[in-house]
Amino acid sequence: MNMNKFFTQFGTVIALALLFIVFAVVVPGFIESNNLINILTQIALLMIIAQGFTMVLIVGELDLSFANLASLSSVLVAGLIIHGMNPVLAILLVLLAGVAFGMINGALVTKVGIPSLITTLATGIVANGLIYMYTKGVSFYSGLPKSFLYLGRGRIGAIPVLVIIMLLDLAVFHIFVNKTVAGSNLKATGGNSSAAFIAGINVKFYKVLALVICSFSAALTGILLTARLGAANPEGAGGFLMEGFAIVLLGQTVYTVGRASPLGTFVGALIIGVLNNGLTLMGAQYFTQDIVKGLIIILAVVISSIQSKRMGA
Amino acid sequence: MKSLRTEGLSKQFPGVLALHDVDFDLEEGEIHAIVGENGAGKSTFVKILAGVYQPTSGKIYLDNIETKFPSPREASTFIGVVHQERELIPFYSGIDNLFLGQEMKSLGFLKKKEMKQKAIDFMKKYGLELDMESPASSLSSGMQEMLSILKILFRSPKIVIFDEPTAPLSIKESEILFNLIADLKKAGTSIIYITHHLTEVMQLADRVSVLRNGEKVTTLKVSDTNEDQIIKLMIAKDLGQQYPKTFMAPQEEMLRIEFHGSDKKTKMSPHDVSSICIHSKEIVGFAGLVGSGRSELAKAVVTGTHSDAFTVALCGAPFIPKSPKFAISNGIVMIPEDRRGEGLITSFDVKENLSFSRLSQLSKMGFRSEKRINSRCAAIIKDLSIKVFSPAQSVGTLSGGNQQKVSLGKWFDANAKLWIFDEPTQGIDVETKSEIYRIMERLAFQGAGIWFISSDLRELLAISDRIYAMYQSRVVGEFTRPFDGEKILQAMLGRNIVETTEVFS
Repeated sequence: MNMNKFFTQFGTVIALALLFIVFAVVVPGFIESNNLINILTQIALLMIIAQGFTMVLIVGELDLSFANLASLSSVLVAGLIIHGMNPVLAILLVLLAGVAFGMINGALVTKVGIPSLITTLATGIVANGLIYMYTKGVSFYSGLPKSFLYLGRGRIGAIPVLVIIMLLDLAVFHIFVNKTVAGSNLKATGGNSSAAFIAGINVKFYKVLALVICSFSAALTGILLTARLGAANPEGAGGFLMEGFAIVLLGQTVYTVGRASPLGTFVGALIIGVLNNGLTLMGAQYFTQDIVKGLIIILAVVISSIQSKRMGA
Repeated sequence: MKSLRTEGLSKQFPGVLALHDVDFDLEEGEIHAIVGENGAGKSTFVKILAGVYQPTSGKIYLDNIETKFPSPREASTFIGVVHQERELIPFYSGIDNLFLGQEMKSLGFLKKKEMKQKAIDFMKKYGLELDMESPASSLSSGMQEMLSILKILFRSPKIVIFDEPTAPLSIKESEILFNLIADLKKAGTSIIYITHHLTEVMQLADRVSVLRNGEKVTTLKVSDTNEDQIIKLMIAKDLGQQYPKTFMAPQEEMLRIEFHGSDKKTKMSPHDVSSICIHSKEIVGFAGLVGSGRSELAKAVVTGTHSDAFTVALCGAPFIPKSPKFAISNGIVMIPEDRRGEGLITSFDVKENLSFSRLSQLSKMGFRSEKRINSRCAAIIKDLSIKVFSPAQSVGTLSGGNQQKVSLGKWFDANAKLWIFDEPTQGIDVETKSEIYRIMERLAFQGAGIWFISSDLRELLAISDRIYAMYQSRVVGEFTRPFDGEKILQAMLGRNIVETTEVFS
């Protein structure tokens, strides 16, 4: 393998490693195992929601509704449990609502033919409206049972449950995309939907499937967010939209430039996680973090577009 | 006085000599028609004159001065080309389109009033009535064509090339165009007129040049010739001798399509062929000009669009086209004309391209069986002698011929009853072409029916057992061996000569 190809494929991973080494040397306490577990816990929710969005990018569509849907799911699960519903039932109900939401997105995109960007912008706004209809703008603070909070705060040995859920989620998505027929069909749909269609692949089904998985992941993220915070507020997951986009874009620079993948998204999440954590430990102001993250995303996308031009892709 | 002359103009593309040693001349104030089959080199010739392609060798003279057109920009000062695709900005008004790039300004402000007056005067000069103030997109397609012609004339070129200008026009609009061309000629403009419609040649042109296989056959005075003679000249003499065909006895009927002619677009005339069929072990050619509806008919059967115009029977049982998936599960596969757009996923490697359509057969409980995928892929690469370094090579880096082999190779173990090949040899070198023919013959030998769409009449005549000719979305003729190439060409060009033959009765 020549150097050029090596850097194209692993450049982002090398950047992550460099970042890691620099923080390990410069920032006291960064390399401690507690802190490393901390980083993983901090990125868990972001990575879970971004895996769903990764599926949508793989089929060549967009989703702008997932963060609002996660906020909606977060307040919904809190409200249902506080009003006395069995937590398991409440979780299942909210996940089901997420699936239904994704199917509405999918139907609007594939049956009605509205571009996914516009569809999900609109359904995201609707989700936001539903949040305020349900909460009247008030957050849920107390009354969540310990059993439910265990999902977000519990540990198995030294490892937080949240980190275990994240790793399981990553494994499932990685296997789904790379080892199953459905995953290959998702990639074919995104690669060239006309060719996939003529070859007998039901491209509309796979577009709906990707949007449903994205909404399901958002609902799951909302539930875990409530379990982690022990509270739910109307804008709780709002920040996931930009950060989710950012890490999936970063992930597209991993291995095959320009293509989203579960592992790539995980690497993207790690970069953001390491940056956030390292800069915080260094005592950098919160606004510095945003500026640095923004610049790094631009850098990553510039590098990948230069590389893909060079490869003629 | 010659306003344009070419000497020994040639254009070599990788593997194809598109234009060979063409001497051509255009008199001042002359209408010079160029005719030829699809692929005869007409569009290559136009593109060289328009500065889009650089000639491999040969010279171009303008008013007896040798000239080079390094880019379309340089060429457009002298030569205006009316393309088949219109170059209008849809939401700009007629006036704004007309003045595009040469607006009348004072101190940076547009002189709207003057522009409007000048535009309307210019339009009236050519006897046209266009709504110049509405967006171009609101005009009918014929009127848009008129507007793009006006836009070219507005730049007052000395030479105007019309490339199939009547295709989007109604009969009435065509008449207006012919008047406009006559006016241009009177004003001393020289005109090159490219068309498939020989009646237009007879009606308009002073001289006609016939291209065949990239060479100029001859130039004739229109007053000295007739349509039949021109058709004879367009057809190559060595028709069908290059490719040895293996003859097989066609077996039972695979596919039958009965046309109702109920659809407005495909309204039949009484002379049209009312049903077509393809038998097992038979290669059936579909001849026709680009846009005659050959691909659309095949796609309708595969994708299930537009199916109220006909009914389909597959092996004697009714078949209602629904989706490609449904067609494939019934043994119909299609190798689309647009290889990169529809036949391949160019971002995938060779292995994935060969596999993506057959993964359900190459999996266990929904999981990919890499072992079976790899061994099948290796077998197909070997069987079709696809030239790749490794199955992991990106399909975008392959030659056209190898890409086509990948595009059709993906169906190799699908046991399809009917294979639809849409322009399978377009842009492919001669050697690979004959490999593709051999693959088609082999599939037929194994019992499949082959639906073979091509714009290259020679290969149709060489490979087909039977040929249907299509014209304006209708099947206008059926031909059996021995083929009469002239008659097929006449049918393709819409000259309503129909042979009705009883086949396999």
